[in-house]
Amino acid sequence: MSTDDALLRIVDLGKSYRARERTVDALAQVDLTVDDGEFVAVVGPSGCGKTTLLKIIAGLLPATTGDVYLAGRRVTEPPADLGVVFQEYGRSLFAWKTVRQNVELPLRSQGVGRAERRELVAEALDAVGLGQAADAYPWQLSGGMQQRVAISRAIAYRPRLLLMDEPFSAVDAQTRGDLEDLLARLWHRYAMTVLFVTHDIDEAVYLGQRVVVLGASPAGVIAEFPIDLPAERDQLGTRSSARFGELRAQVYAQVRRTPHLEEVAP
Amino acid sequence: MKATVVAGLNRGARGVGLALGLPVLLFTAWWVFSADSTSIFLPPLSRIVEAFGQVWFSEVFVRDVLPSLRRLAAGYAAALLVGVGVGYLVGRWSVVRDLTSPILAYFRVLPAPVLIPVLLVAVGIGDATKLIVIAVGAVWPILLNTADGVRAVDEVQLDTAAAYRLRAWTRHGLILRAATPQVFAGARQALGISLIVMVVSEMLMSTDGLGFTVIRFQRTFAIPEMWSGVLLLGLLGFGLAKVFETIERRALRWHRGATGREESW
Repeated sequence: MSTDDALLRIVDLGKSYRARERTVDALAQVDLTVDDGEFVAVVGPSGCGKTTLLKIIAGLLPATTGDVYLAGRRVTEPPADLGVVFQEYGRSLFAWKTVRQNVELPLRSQGVGRAERRELVAEALDAVGLGQAADAYPWQLSGGMQQRVAISRAIAYRPRLLLMDEPFSAVDAQTRGDLEDLLARLWHRYAMTVLFVTHDIDEAVYLGQRVVVLGASPAGVIAEFPIDLPAERDQLGTRSSARFGELRAQVYAQVRRTPHLEEVAP
Repeated sequence: MKATVVAGLNRGARGVGLALGLPVLLFTAWWVFSADSTSIFLPPLSRIVEAFGQVWFSEVFVRDVLPSLRRLAAGYAAALLVGVGVGYLVGRWSVVRDLTSPILAYFRVLPAPVLIPVLLVAVGIGDATKLIVIAVGAVWPILLNTADGVRAVDEVQLDTAAAYRLRAWTRHGLILRAATPQVFAGARQALGISLIVMVVSEMLMSTDGLGFTVIRFQRTFAIPEMWSGVLLLGLLGFGLAKVFETIERRALRWHRGATGREESW
């Protein structure tokens, strides 16, 4: 089934919801392939079904039509080798557990032995700069730090594919830049594949090797842009480079071309 | 740092003062105004306090107070077990909810003591009957609150648990833990109900226990002793509520923190 380097293959995916008497199409004919080790950013107008797409890939929602394959296997339930970081860090962490316990939890369910678990957790917390906060509770930390915990939990799990749903949209601009750079470092270090959903075009261009644009609802892939910026990126230099501006403008034009939901509605 | 500790102590002392002030005042007023009461039904408080010492610091404690506490504990524990268990099922699965909601609505409003005559015939006068009546009275707030709490568990948490392939039992545990604020709210109500139902059941069908003793004192015109029983029941309820509060505070520290009712560092 799977050929070459594709880790994730999405084939003719569609999703419709029944709402009262009418059917709402959230996604239609989504085709997307993500190679092993790639960093792909998905952008699209708000409310276009990005989160729905991500949930289907994660096996949390069934698709109406089409298939998702992860490492050649059809996704029908949450697959192993898959980590998720949600936008709402405050709601995805378990408030009664310490930072360490939160990160450790998925490993426990995987049956990872005690000693190895401790090592993985310590390393994952160090990797996001939270080695000192292991015994704190999530609610004692700032929003940016809480999202680091969620990232750390994903890292410790050692996923082949990391799904991220607008992970930095709820933190302030300064923290956001820090988290973006942290993520870029982690991606290099752990050789993961990342599928990063955002509505922020700058963020998509800054982080991605490839930017995929989803159209308005029902969303399908309407454009793809390879990002030929240098592998090493930094907030100041990369964002002020001419090439960044060009790419950003191209993506922006494409996203703008698709009407927003609000504007379609009568 | 030191200043905050001192301020904290001051605040603590102030809190204790406010909490104790009114009860002390009322107690004093009762003491003074009842001092030369000649009414047989309203004896002087000094007499009641005297009777309190004589009655309860004796073998009566073992004979009547301990059995009451045992029934209360057993009935309440049964209510907790059943309430949380069934409440979880009802909150988690809409099929169970739809199936049970009419029945729940009926039994919830049924006053538990009405079961006493029924159970007397069916089960007899033993401790089992009292235990069942207490449990039946106390189970509803626990069950309904647990169901609400379980139903309201955040979808993002459920998605997180599913995406990371947490084991089924781990997931059940997480959902229940997330629902503990509501479970505790129900359990607090249920504690009060348990105490009431315990006393009533002992008044109606018992040969020992606090409720029975109070009635016996009343029937033998031992009025100060009867009053002392009322006093003891009040103190018992107060003490249990305090113990409950302490446990709740510990168990729900995260909830106060996460909802911004406790300082972060």
